[in-house]
Amino acid sequence: MPAWKKAKMPVVSTAKYLQDQYKEGMPVVVIDLRPVDSAKAAHIPGAVSIPAADLPNMKNAFPGSKAAPVVLYAETQSEAMPSFAVVRGWGFKNISVLEGGFPAWKNSGAELASNQLATEIVYVPKPAAGSIPVAEFKQIVETMPGDKFILDVRDEDEAMQGMLKGAHNIPAQDVADNVDQIPKDKEVILHCITGIRAEMAYLTLKEKGYNARFLNANIEIDKDGHYNIAAE
Amino acid sequence: MRKRAFITMTVALLAATVLYMTGAWAADGKPTIIKPCLQCHKDEPGVLRGQLGTVSAKAETIKIQIGPATWVVPFDADTELIGEKDFKNIGQGKEIAIHYVQEDGQLYATKVYVKPPAVVPEEKLIKLEELSALVDKGPEAGNYTLVDARPGPRYHEGHIPGSIVIYDAQFDENVDKLPKDKSRLLIFYCGGPT
Repeated sequence: MPAWKKAKMPVVSTAKYLQDQYKEGMPVVVIDLRPVDSAKAAHIPGAVSIPAADLPNMKNAFPGSKAAPVVLYAETQSEAMPSFAVVRGWGFKNISVLEGGFPAWKNSGAELASNQLATEIVYVPKPAAGSIPVAEFKQIVETMPGDKFILDVRDEDEAMQGMLKGAHNIPAQDVADNVDQIPKDKEVILHCITGIRAEMAYLTLKEKGYNARFLNANIEIDKDGHYNIAAE
Repeated sequence: MRKRAFITMTVALLAATVLYMTGAWAADGKPTIIKPCLQCHKDEPGVLRGQLGTVSAKAETIKIQIGPATWVVPFDADTELIGEKDFKNIGQGKEIAIHYVQEDGQLYATKVYVKPPAVVPEEKLIKLEELSALVDKGPEAGNYTLVDARPGPRYHEGHIPGSIVIYDAQFDENVDKLPKDKSRLLIFYCGGPT
């Protein structure tokens, strides 16, 4: 996937992704590329109307952060692809086209809006749900309070190269089957090396009723437990 | 006189106990393979699979780390090293297998294998341009199935058009999602190191 994205190849997202983002209150820029009349009649809630023909001139309307998640949709998936190339070309890394186009959203049973198109792109970055601020993570690692449980969800062979002091290791894919090893009365602080596996494990634990947060950043740990965190 | 005999006996008994215990421990309690190795290898008698600790040329011993346990295995010039020219060249933590014999309770390494890097053979790799051409055609016209091996949420967030998702960690339970026609081209991709 990284090579595919780097080559600026087309990427599609699902209606489920958008629904989940809305449910979690996470910001995502949604652009309706259809003619204004069709867009007005029925559109995805929160969408901004920018007809495909106008898009190439709208660079300044886009967020400053190239990491902003952007979803484009038209009546069909392929109709949105030329616009994908334009916005991807501006450097937006997390851009995708809604798989199946607008009908996919309708058929997913999700809420529809009409005449509520936004006129301006507003993007306020928000940390991922369940993520822990880096400073707080560091403080927990340094002081290891009794009410926290640090869980390293990297694979066993990675963890053997060095772990944080006081951390426990259960590989992300094994967390669901090993919850009996994780205390329920402590807040579980998860990490991997990028935040991706930690987030997966976080979702697993949340589903099982745990109080948990995860480190959404790149972390390197040496064999003595010294570490270095670089937020992406 | 009697006292001295008693002490001697006690020492001998203690030594025997220690010997017996370490021997038994080596045979029963101590792990002989680390979990990651079990993906491709079995736990077999006479073989230790773990990560290289240190090699002492002077003492002619290799330390191998297997989970929480450290094994110290003597070797000499007759020990065969496979996969590397010199013990010096093997990095600490590298996965190795030691084939050993046990003589009078003493281990001796007959062969040491260094794990070769995991390489996907060139003919099993697809080039970006090739995949791109297939994606343009679509799975039906191109007669292939493209599988995203990342977790579900990652797939929903953004995937290669036309791909299906089978999260690697749940692959075994989901093989039925693969095409029935086994001659069909299967292409997998993931998120790189995470």
